[in-house]
Amino acid sequence: MFDWLLDVYNYRVVADYASTFAFGIWRTVWISTVSLLAALVLGTGIALMRRSRRRLARWPATVYVEALRGTPLLVQIYLVYYGLPEIPLLGRRLDELEGGVLALSVHTAAYMAEIIRAGIGSVPEGQAEGARSVGMTRWQTLRYVVLPQAFANATPPIIGQTAVLIKDSSLLSIIAVFETMSAGLRLMSDRYMPNEAFLTSAACFLAIYAVMLGVSNFAQRRLGGAT
Amino acid sequence: MSEPATKSPGDTSAESRDIIRVENVHKVFRGAKDHRIVALAGVSEVVARGEVLVLLGQSGSGKSTLLRSLNGLEAVDSGRIVVDGRDVTDRKTDLNALREEVGMVFQNFNLFKHKTALENITLPLEVVRRTSRQEARERAERMLARVGLADWAGSYPSQLSGGQQQRVAIARSLAMEPKVMLFDEVTSALDPETVGGVLRLMEELAGEGMTMVVVTHEIGFAKRAAHRIAFMDQGQVVERGDPQGFFAAPQSERAQQFLEQIL
Repeated sequence: MFDWLLDVYNYRVVADYASTFAFGIWRTVWISTVSLLAALVLGTGIALMRRSRRRLARWPATVYVEALRGTPLLVQIYLVYYGLPEIPLLGRRLDELEGGVLALSVHTAAYMAEIIRAGIGSVPEGQAEGARSVGMTRWQTLRYVVLPQAFANATPPIIGQTAVLIKDSSLLSIIAVFETMSAGLRLMSDRYMPNEAFLTSAACFLAIYAVMLGVSNFAQRRLGGAT
Repeated sequence: MSEPATKSPGDTSAESRDIIRVENVHKVFRGAKDHRIVALAGVSEVVARGEVLVLLGQSGSGKSTLLRSLNGLEAVDSGRIVVDGRDVTDRKTDLNALREEVGMVFQNFNLFKHKTALENITLPLEVVRRTSRQEARERAERMLARVGLADWAGSYPSQLSGGQQQRVAIARSLAMEPKVMLFDEVTSALDPETVGGVLRLMEELAGEGMTMVVVTHEIGFAKRAAHRIAFMDQGQVVERGDPQGFFAAPQSERAQQFLEQIL
């Protein structure tokens, strides 16, 4: 019935590689999730440093953001993977997965920092004053009043940056991290069938993106309140 | 300008009759290009326990700055402010501990927008006072009932009218069981029909003996509830007295002009 399709896109061959792609998707999701969480934590710290009154805190944060936004992710991945020496606590060098996740996290954190900084800026001054006036410390004010609202306001750009992160993770295939892109590359090198290899990889990324979007919409509706 | 009755300036004992002492406080706001605005130019004032002091004056006369300096929200340049035995102007003073005992209500409510009315009250109790969740909830419900909003516990600030939000803000402060309440033009941003409810609540508090410092343009409230008026102009208290005397026969030219404008 779909025989005509076999010339353009041989889904039977793709079916043979189903477990390869499934493993690739699992890895992409894992890499993206870990990198996202790390980037949000690191990015929040950088954002707070950039808003600090102390120049000694602001200055390094600005250098960090601009240096990472101004150089290619590909270069950063190579630098982290090939350039990092043995990690003292680990007693060995980072493997390709660890190095890849580190590079992605550090890179994405620069963008997240700017998004979160804008989010914090969008919370009216009075919110912090209200919190301080009932005796909350600076930290409690940030933790319970300012940051929750900052993240709620910044959710749309954070989702956009997460979409970029998911797609950027395909670059890790060049340091031999096995993920969705690598699955397509394997099919390509085994059979030399570019449509089957790359259209499938593309479809997998699109599916991951769609699920991410669905989850974030659901979460936003659940957590959004009436702000 | 009359100085407040001088007591020993080092008196910081909790037994002191005066809960607030402001001594010769100066504050200048510095803007861009050496732009300077003198907000407080040597203010001295005392507030006794249980007293309701109403600060009057034109906008820009320094009354809000004075109020905000009482809980350290605004740092002053020089002078001394002692509230309930704590020196607000001393850098070593734990301002957070002070603010637990000095409630403040703002013109724009400053309710936490991401929290319901109930959560606005329970959050400070749980975070600052370490009250148990259950106890915080019960106290918050009592406070909401007290300000007439028992049915609105689950509403977010954006779902409440200005007057309702302001009553929640007052409830949030009261839940901390403050010794002093500061009110900063709390009815200025309200629709006229919701002002009454907020003022009535404030008068009730005054009637219960709460120490209050109130910046307001509500002359009716000042006449009914104030024990004493302090009239400010250009960063100084230029006249002080009981409401009857002040409104009937203001002494200073500035106060006379001010009353002519608003009455």
